[in-house]
Amino acid sequence: MKRYSLTIIGLLLLALAIGFGPALASSAPAPASQASTLHPNFILLDADGANVLESGSAVSTMQTCGQCHDTDFIASHAFHSDLGLADYAASKESWDASTGTFGQWNPLTYRYLSQDGDERLDLSTAEWLMLNGERVVGGGPATTSRNDAPLADVKVSRENPETSILKNGSPTTWNWDKSGTMEMNCFLCHLETPNTEARAEAIHAGEFGNANTATLIGLNVVNKSSEGWVWNPESFNENGELKSEFIGIQDPTNANCATCHGEVHPETEEPLTLNACDLDYPQTATTGQVVSGQRINESGVNLTDKNNIERSWDIHAERQLQCTDCHYALNNPAHASELQSNNPEHLVYDPRSLEIGEYLERPDHNFARGESAQFNVAPEYKGTMRRCENCHDASKGHANWLPYIGTHMDAVACETCHIPQMYAPAIQTYDWTVITTSGTAVETCRGVDGDPNAVTSLVTGYEPVLLNRTNIDGDTLLAPYNLITSFYWVYDDANGNKRPVRLVDLEAAYLEDGKYAADIAAAFDSNGDGKLASNELTLDSAAKTDVVKTKLAALGLNNLRIEGVVQPYSINHNVTRGDSAINDCKACHNENSRMSQPIKLTDSAPVLPIFDAANNVNNSGEFVTDADGALYYQPMPAEDNLYVFGSSRVNWVDWFGAIAFAGSLLGVIGHGTLRYLSSQKQPKGQKRTERIYMYDTYRRFWHWLQTSSIVILLFTGLIIHRPDIFGAFSFRGVVTVHNVVAVILVINAALSLFYHITTDRIREFIPHPYGFFDDAIVQARYYIGGIFKGEAHPFEKLPTSRMNPIQKMTYFMILNVLLPLQTITGALMWSVQKRPEFANALGGLPFLAPFHSLVAWMFGTFILVHVYMTTTGATPLEAMRGMVTGYEEVEVHESKDE
Amino acid sequence: MKNRFPSWTLGLLGIILLILVPVIYYLPRAQSRNDPAAYLPTKAVHVDHKDIVNGEFKTGQEVTRACLECHEDAATEFMKTTHWTWESKPFDVPWRDEDVTIGKANQINNFCIGSQGNEVTCTACHAGYGWEQGREAQQANPENVDCLACHADLGSYTKSKYGNPAEGVDLLAAAQSVRAPTRENCGKCHFDGGGGNGVKHGDLDESLYFPGESLDVHMGGEANMQCTDCHWTENHQILGRMIADNYTIDPEEQVSCEQCHVDQQHKDERINTHLASVACQTCHIPAIALEDPTKVTWDWSQAGQEGREDDHFTYLKIKGEFVYEKNFTPTYLWFNGNNEYRYILGDPLGKDGITYINKPAGNIEDVTAKIFPFKLHIAKQPYDVKNNYLLQPVTSGKDGFWTTFDWNSAFELAVPITGLAYSGEYGFTETYMYWATTHMVQPADKALQCESCHGENGRMDWAALGYPGDPIEWGGRK
Repeated sequence: MKRYSLTIIGLLLLALAIGFGPALASSAPAPASQASTLHPNFILLDADGANVLESGSAVSTMQTCGQCHDTDFIASHAFHSDLGLADYAASKESWDASTGTFGQWNPLTYRYLSQDGDERLDLSTAEWLMLNGERVVGGGPATTSRNDAPLADVKVSRENPETSILKNGSPTTWNWDKSGTMEMNCFLCHLETPNTEARAEAIHAGEFGNANTATLIGLNVVNKSSEGWVWNPESFNENGELKSEFIGIQDPTNANCATCHGEVHPETEEPLTLNACDLDYPQTATTGQVVSGQRINESGVNLTDKNNIERSWDIHAERQLQCTDCHYALNNPAHASELQSNNPEHLVYDPRSLEIGEYLERPDHNFARGESAQFNVAPEYKGTMRRCENCHDASKGHANWLPYIGTHMDAVACETCHIPQMYAPAIQTYDWTVITTSGTAVETCRGVDGDPNAVTSLVTGYEPVLLNRTNIDGDTLLAPYNLITSFYWVYDDANGNKRPVRLVDLEAAYLEDGKYAADIAAAFDSNGDGKLASNELTLDSAAKTDVVKTKLAALGLNNLRIEGVVQPYSINHNVTRGDSAINDCKACHNENSRMSQPIKLTDSAPVLPIFDAANNVNNSGEFVTDADGALYYQPMPAEDNLYVFGSSRVNWVDWFGAIAFAGSLLGVIGHGTLRYLSSQKQPKGQKRTERIYMYDTYRRFWHWLQTSSIVILLFTGLIIHRPDIFGAFSFRGVVTVHNVVAVILVINAALSLFYHITTDRIREFIPHPYGFFDDAIVQARYYIGGIFKGEAHPFEKLPTSRMNPIQKMTYFMILNVLLPLQTITGALMWSVQKRPEFANALGGLPFLAPFHSLVAWMFGTFILVHVYMTTTGATPLEAMRGMVTGYEEVEVHESKDE
Repeated sequence: MKNRFPSWTLGLLGIILLILVPVIYYLPRAQSRNDPAAYLPTKAVHVDHKDIVNGEFKTGQEVTRACLECHEDAATEFMKTTHWTWESKPFDVPWRDEDVTIGKANQINNFCIGSQGNEVTCTACHAGYGWEQGREAQQANPENVDCLACHADLGSYTKSKYGNPAEGVDLLAAAQSVRAPTRENCGKCHFDGGGGNGVKHGDLDESLYFPGESLDVHMGGEANMQCTDCHWTENHQILGRMIADNYTIDPEEQVSCEQCHVDQQHKDERINTHLASVACQTCHIPAIALEDPTKVTWDWSQAGQEGREDDHFTYLKIKGEFVYEKNFTPTYLWFNGNNEYRYILGDPLGKDGITYINKPAGNIEDVTAKIFPFKLHIAKQPYDVKNNYLLQPVTSGKDGFWTTFDWNSAFELAVPITGLAYSGEYGFTETYMYWATTHMVQPADKALQCESCHGENGRMDWAALGYPGDPIEWGGRK
């Protein structure tokens, strides 16, 4: 039967494919490409395999869809269905029993799925389903016990969290036979308009067996009466099959995914409005991501400066991509090329993939997924999805303007620049240490002034914080995140296990008849107005904490304490094109770099939270408290081995350099002043001088070209180092000037080296060891003594021997140590964009860049002293004049006069 | 000499060059984009005629005579234009044996239908005087050219019956006020064509007298462009042709965005791939009649009802029922700049119940055609049941339909004028007329984006345009 239907589908598809071929060629209008027309009519079966039209029972999706599709395969290959059940295992180390929603505690939804043997029942399986079932597709924990038996077969006991439920504070039994269980609901994702409201109603009422049928209410197929389900014979054909026009079966659309994941707005004309910070729209609530192609300025969100935000909410939605284009079924033959990524290198394409019919029989419902921080179910599938680079070649798109493309791409995720700003509010804190009278946490939202869902609130949006994450493949990249901080009470139960304090216990402590208990109100109402405002609803004093703690302890809870956790939530949607992306170098290469922007965590923290470690985000930043007690998270790029020009700097290098420079400046000023004072006392015109052709043309040319280069390099280098001080300059332009002039300097140095070697003048620079120190001491004594007395220079300046011993030593150091070091470190830093391995072998930018700065400081100091020294000639400006014209008046030494 | 330029200055120059040349060569440059404003015509400052024009003018012709004293060729130049002749050059059309001409003078539209026999009122928008002399005599005399219609300050000038100045107009003041034409001069006829503000075009109406930048990025805001900034004019030949009054149009005679937007590509290469198939107007004019409503249907069959209250936007006894719409999505068609068909008086009615007054030419196979936005105006017009052609009634004048409300006599009256026989039996039939939408270009941030056309909620009817499906999935035309 299965095989037969399959052949029909196959043939149908083939016929369609053939049919479309000529249609394309002749450009004749093709039949309307409705997804529903592809799907044949089918019989709706109940759980016993009987046509619902006859039995009047609820529909069974596993039976119905199982007529053609291998529903067992589908249900067992679907992490959306499994939700962590498969790896559910209680452990002593952690209160999390799995990696999925079923078993992993979420501080936002708070309620804890109790483990077998827990002292106090919080969420039983049934209540977990009632609470979360709206966003549970069915199957997995909705049909199966933690021991892999059907839920209905589990022995009913009040003690077992799988067969009980909390009622008025104490556990009673839950009857799965009566409630039914919830099969994986194919309709939820494959119908154009599933009735999610009716479904949610059934789930909240605990009628799990009816949930899937309720999804069809309103399609003229089925209605509910007091007796049960009433199937509408009109919508079935003579074979008892449901007519396809009543039930459009289709590939999941963005709207289908939105049912559980967050705000999606496919309409073009109707302005977008959204539910903010509402966990029924988790992706939007936790990050502010909204999937819509609408221009932001055309949406209905009350955003600051909205008129000027021309970009769409999400470029991929604007360009008609569907969620399933990136998050596809892993064995979908349309995405065969991705599946072949582990082919041997010589094999570009492997034609062996599933036929469409085989795929339709057994579509893998494990969907390609990313590596977001908070969704850890089925970790083996992390990193399977199409990411940016699977579609886009960044090296081409950025080729015309972005320097150091490779360096940027190695360090920064595409999202960092292409999701520069979130335009919807997102949750900032969830404080469960206090509760509202309706039993919810005290919540704050970032990116909005006031109530996030009031139309009058001004939405400001927020800048995501950039954190370094480690991908499956080992790459580390800076990527944008929202950080949500939660605080909550925990206790140790009778088994010695740490558990979050149950909501019922919190309510018992805080509330009496739906109002705050008198002692709570007294302790919290600091302004005495009889009401607890949101700023009073916080445990900001030991007295308040003690009141609550005492009340909780009175409920029998041991070792009560407050814990806090900061959880990163990945932001990967709401991408924008280059125009609106971060494309100003100074956004990062500046004092207030995006990369080190702190993000506010909470106005007041009852305890210092810990950074959630159960994800791929490196906790390399630090917690910072400001003067008002608000807590921030400060990313530290340096801790992630990142050196960001213009932002990163090693303080001691700058201090050391600045002190050396300032010291030299002081020395020079002091020496100069003394010289001036002493020269006033000296008789004039005492020394005989002579005009000598001291510097030949090439020497002068070489010298001044090098001078210009070094001055320009020092200046541009300073700008690159501290762009915040020199805001007028374009960072990119300055980097270019620095690089070009550096090349000029190196060429000039090389040519002059050649000149000096070939003309043998290199000797002038080489200190002769014999008597060198004696001569140097003589020269030094001249500078500290003789020069003030008007004595003659101890060594004669001649065209063949222009340098005194100290000069020789200085130049020897400069030319053999400083210049090569600066050239090599500079070249390595430049080469990072092409061959980073060389630079990385020598410590990478975090070492090379500060070193380059240090040598630059020394060059600056040298120039200062060098310029001063030139004033010690016959007259202060004589040496400089000599370097310009070539002729210099030098002292004539008597001994050589003869 | 030597002292003035010491040799070291040469070295200095060398050093400066050695550094500057490579730096400038490598310095990142912003990609220069052609500034469209550079292509705007430069206009001479108009000489104030206040002290030049004097005398006493009793008739329009006397003013023209004064103008021609200095501007000797102005009238003869102008008389070659369709603004004067109200008739196109002859076209060879495949459905007629002889060449035909198209224009206000001899053909019909689907608003007030036709001017023949109705010249007394219609010529209030003709840039000439003296139509009471009859068409031939009027057209022959250069002194009938109405210089003031386009050059006077309209605060001091207005036209009336047979194109003559309205009674009480101070012609001297009007003549002294002359200057280059403004949006007001052009707008007087082109904004109010069809009998009122915004009736005909949908992209031209009185909101353009004082437009904001968001209404029209060219005429509004800082640019404040005048009609002649795009409709380049030389020797009174104004660039630009109306598709409704022509059969084919030489692209040389047409205004185009590329006149000023030369080599100006979008930054997004995806958009540029659209340029071969999508006209600029399609994305940059997302909606028409933004501020003032325009007429989209006109049902003549309801005219003449006794006792029904008149309302400018829904019903007038003399004209029938209308629907006006505002800020609506245009109709999109393939368009290569020509008409596939233009109704010529005497042509049979359309076969499928719709008679096209004009039908833009182009289809998906036509590589010169692009998808283009149109305002579609649908009318119900009278036709001769026996002869199976549209009828042009005489509406104005003391015996016209607007006075007598008798269709039969209105058609009878027209017989000698149009030369078309009337069988005595009339009915009403649907007529379609397409108006190309090219004005009210909105700022770039209001332009259509991908999802406006593509995807489930897109505005394009891909099947009607000849695509097998949304080209974002099925691919564009080859």
